[in-house]
Amino acid sequence: MTDPKTGPKTARPGPKLPGAWAIMAPVRGQIRAGMALAVLSALFGLATLGFLALTVQALMAGQGALACGFMAAAFLCTLGGYLGRLGAFNQSHYAAFRLERLLRTGLAQRLAQVSLGYVETEGAGGLTKVIHDDVKALHVFVADSTPLYARAYVTPFVTFALLLWLDWRLALAALAVLALGMGVLTWAQRRRGEMARAYNDARERVSAAVVEFVQAMPVVRTFDAGHGIFGRYQRALDAYAQVLARWYRESGFAARFSWVVLAPMPTLAVVLWLGGGLVWAGDLDPLRWLAVLLLCTGMAEAVMPMMMLRHMNEKVKLSIARIHEVMAAPVLPEPAPGAEARPQDASVRFENVTFRYGAGESDALTDVTFEAAPGTVTALVGPSGAGKSTVARLIPRFWDANSGRVLIGGADVREMTADTLMGQVAFVFQDTFLFSDSIAANIRLGSPEASMEDVIAAATAAQAHDFIMDLPQGYDTPAGERGSFLSGGQRQRITIARAILQDRPILVLDEATAFADPENEAALVAALARLMRGKTVLMVAHRLPTIRDADRILVFDRGRLTEQGRHDDLVAGGGLYARLWSNYERAQNWSLGQRAPQEVPA
Amino acid sequence: MSAPSTAPRKGPTPWLATWQRLMEGVGPEAAPGLRRAILGLLAAAILQGLALASIVPVFTALFSRRDLTDGLVWLAVFTALTVAASVLRWRAQGFDYDGQMSAATNRLRLRLGAQLRRMPLETLQESRTGELNSMVLNSVDETLQTTLTILNLIFIAVVTPFATGIALFAVDWRMALAFLAVFPAILPLYRWRRPAMGRGKRILAQAHQEANADVLEYAQGLPVLRAARQAGSKAERLAKTFEKLEAIQAYGHRKGEKPNILVASVVELGLVLVLALGAGLVAFGALDLAALAGLLVIVARLSEPLSTFILYTAMVELIESALDRIAALMRIEPLPQDDPAAVPDRFDIEFDAVTFRYAQAPDPALKGISLRLPARSLTALVGPSGSGKTTLTKLLMRQSDPQEGAIRIGGVDLRRIPADRLAGLISVVFQDVYLFNDTVAANIRMARPGATEAELRAAAEAAHCLEFIERLPKGWDTPLGDIGGRLSGGERQRISIARALLKDAPIVILDEPTAALDTESELSVQRAIDALVRDKTVLVIAHRLSTVAGADRLLVLEEGRLTAQGRHAELLACPGRYRRMWEAQMRAKDWHLVPAGTSAH
Repeated sequence: MTDPKTGPKTARPGPKLPGAWAIMAPVRGQIRAGMALAVLSALFGLATLGFLALTVQALMAGQGALACGFMAAAFLCTLGGYLGRLGAFNQSHYAAFRLERLLRTGLAQRLAQVSLGYVETEGAGGLTKVIHDDVKALHVFVADSTPLYARAYVTPFVTFALLLWLDWRLALAALAVLALGMGVLTWAQRRRGEMARAYNDARERVSAAVVEFVQAMPVVRTFDAGHGIFGRYQRALDAYAQVLARWYRESGFAARFSWVVLAPMPTLAVVLWLGGGLVWAGDLDPLRWLAVLLLCTGMAEAVMPMMMLRHMNEKVKLSIARIHEVMAAPVLPEPAPGAEARPQDASVRFENVTFRYGAGESDALTDVTFEAAPGTVTALVGPSGAGKSTVARLIPRFWDANSGRVLIGGADVREMTADTLMGQVAFVFQDTFLFSDSIAANIRLGSPEASMEDVIAAATAAQAHDFIMDLPQGYDTPAGERGSFLSGGQRQRITIARAILQDRPILVLDEATAFADPENEAALVAALARLMRGKTVLMVAHRLPTIRDADRILVFDRGRLTEQGRHDDLVAGGGLYARLWSNYERAQNWSLGQRAPQEVPA
Repeated sequence: MSAPSTAPRKGPTPWLATWQRLMEGVGPEAAPGLRRAILGLLAAAILQGLALASIVPVFTALFSRRDLTDGLVWLAVFTALTVAASVLRWRAQGFDYDGQMSAATNRLRLRLGAQLRRMPLETLQESRTGELNSMVLNSVDETLQTTLTILNLIFIAVVTPFATGIALFAVDWRMALAFLAVFPAILPLYRWRRPAMGRGKRILAQAHQEANADVLEYAQGLPVLRAARQAGSKAERLAKTFEKLEAIQAYGHRKGEKPNILVASVVELGLVLVLALGAGLVAFGALDLAALAGLLVIVARLSEPLSTFILYTAMVELIESALDRIAALMRIEPLPQDDPAAVPDRFDIEFDAVTFRYAQAPDPALKGISLRLPARSLTALVGPSGSGKTTLTKLLMRQSDPQEGAIRIGGVDLRRIPADRLAGLISVVFQDVYLFNDTVAANIRMARPGATEAELRAAAEAAHCLEFIERLPKGWDTPLGDIGGRLSGGERQRISIARALLKDAPIVILDEPTAALDTESELSVQRAIDALVRDKTVLVIAHRLSTVAGADRLLVLEEGRLTAQGRHAELLACPGRYRRMWEAQMRAKDWHLVPAGTSAH
């Protein structure tokens, strides 16, 4: 018999089911209790059959009262078996629910400790899927399979022992049928790993094609004249159908054959013929034959449900692997207590910072050195991919530099606690994020002790007070799903109010004005000006005029700091900045519709 | 039964409806085969029941009557019935194993995919529908492919005992009646407890949805939370959500288990009672002991499928709900095409008193819009966000039909233009560029599959793509899936413009095509757009007013109404929204950072 815990050997790399047992560690006690109850229930089931056979024996001997007693015992054992099964089911389910909670809580806490770069790379959607869906997928294994596994372990052996005791010839015959079925099944699945991989690959391609097809429907409708995308969808489906057909073809006979053999009827037929012959020849006590007939299919029946669950359990393995991956994500190292550094002032300094996103990637930043003095405004500019946003992200430790140091107030960011670091720096990101809480709570985020007056003062300074008061419930208006009824500019001003309220000495702005519409832009710009007053500011900007008066402009190109200085000097220098500036001016002057008059109908 | 009206299904779907949907699902090609397969499984279950029943005469012949011949005959009957059942089942399962089912689900997916292309885009893009459709499309085979397996198990659990019970009348009518009273009881019991199970599932689904939303918010907000030093406390709140979810799961489990206990105990204990009755009959000499022994063997065989029956009912639910969703999706009608069909030969655009309201919205998004765009003119839509600019372009592409009024191209009502012909008239450049996981060449060529190499090249050149495409590792054959992330926003946008250029449609819609670009790529994109709009009827949405100041006409939209129109200079001359917007934008443009330390504004 194959080991029911791992099934036939698969070639799939990564954690196997032992990982699944390991992931249950927090609820191991309860799972074991459930499995013990399942075993108990199985034993009760066997006892029921035994008492039924004894009833017949008593009736045969004409002992009515004894028969009555055995019947009652059989009834009680049925009851006991059922209660045991129910108990097992309850224990495993409650354990599964508890495990889900523990894993989710653990994963959420893990995410609060890993580097933000990891969160960004994995994506919020992907991480949510792990925390929610993958954990949920464990249910079928933990809740439904564990009692069945327990039964599948114990019942066949106990049954076989009983059969041997009753009659060794019939026992071997029953075993032979089972062995034939299992043997063919195992043979049929010898290439299971390979097929499963081909199947999973084809399925993934189908999934991708489906998502692409649905998401891109507006583009598909306007541009897909030749039904090319539909063709791609169709091809992915066809490839999948082929893999599936091949799998069925190759395993069809053996799978169907083993289904037939492992069903109770063939065993029953063998034991009926053979036993009947033995009994007729006087070689076997009829009662023993009856008992064997009652028990003989128990071995196969205990194993079958697990076969059915195996397909589901294979999927669970993938979920477990993903959960393990997140749990194994490296935690951002924090300094030892007592050894943490404290910043001396509001300066920011990069010393020979080199950074790349992954081992195989080229440098995102190469040997970058600069200093932003307290209270000054430093602008980071350059073509996309030049490394500006990377600089902004190294300050809050989304990532740590591969070499060199990032210093705040003279202290290495890696030697500060996250609390100290975040207490020094406020961020306004391009992607504004509002929580589904009231507007006031969103502004107060990070300054929980702030009074309502403080909140209003911050909102007023951020040019947000007026539109907030126009909302149906003012500051108590729920911000809704990601603040969807607020415009981009309004959401941005709320995040600026948040930063004003936090009042931290250093401010990092990443494309803070990117998505504002024209009327909002003026208000936004005023809000930013208020926010920046008296702070050390580092700002990433694409809109060059907003940074024209910065104390210093740092120009990045392909990860290197290539120029720095004030606007006028840089323009006069004729380098990259001068080119960007001239591009900008030309882009500003662009207007659609500058066509020759004769092309436009009167 | 007080199921809320929002419930997807008020009671259990009638079996007949499920049967019909199943047949529709596999399609006319496979329906006869599936019918045969199901009937085959049904017949196999009946034969198996009869085979089991014939164990009783084997026992009575061998032990009571000591008649070997008769015993052998009944043994042979048992064997023959068993073999016949196996053969029937083997052939029925051929529907799965010979690939007919997977071929049917494959066809179903293609039908669903074609339906997605036909249905109104607006319906497709309603909140969460897209996700749901992906789900249907993705899971259709996994659900349907278990159908025969599940049916087989259910037949063995329910039909086989029933057949055995009927056959037992030939042995002893009292035992047969007692037997029949117990087994088929699970069916009505199951139907009765199903609504309770459904309620539990709904509560659970909602709890899961809420937890999922909370997790998503947490994951999305992590950078902000960390910056605000609130990640820990938010994680604590999340832990509370998880605790609540666990409580609801446990509650649902308890609710769902009670009927389960009842069903299973009725049947299991009922069976033992049947045997007790038999034992009583034997004790009073009214029943042959050998017959009772045979009954014992039968009961032992039948109780196992029964105890797992409950597990399979959950799968039946899955299959039924998948069939429901498929049916619902296939029911959505495409936008009607009015007769007589017509294709415009000139490309001026007219909106005639158009009022449009989104399906879920309380107020119209467009109110009584009338306007005319001459052929080969450039018209800009301006106005605050939410004023209806994008809705107007969506109606022009006929993603929905307006509730009132009409839209015409070249004098032909959109509703009379066949959908593929209309699509051929319009090119769109969106703010978000969608590139397909295919080569650069395929991404551009999709707009006109018949285009020659030279035409492809010309379009790329005009869109200022040529230079960077040739720098790509495999040039035109570079798969964008591998390097999609490495193209800049401007490069991606230029590929989408090359696509539109190749299509060469007479009408061009530009929806904020430069909004998300940086200055350097913006300049190239602008040049590409200049090439695209030449000689076309152009409708452009732009936030940056200077971009569209040169348009032939500007349309100012406010809260779904057209409040002003004219050239830039005309609109600027009179006080109103446009002038305010323009002035605000000029102020923002002139705004300079004031270095800290010196006095502010």
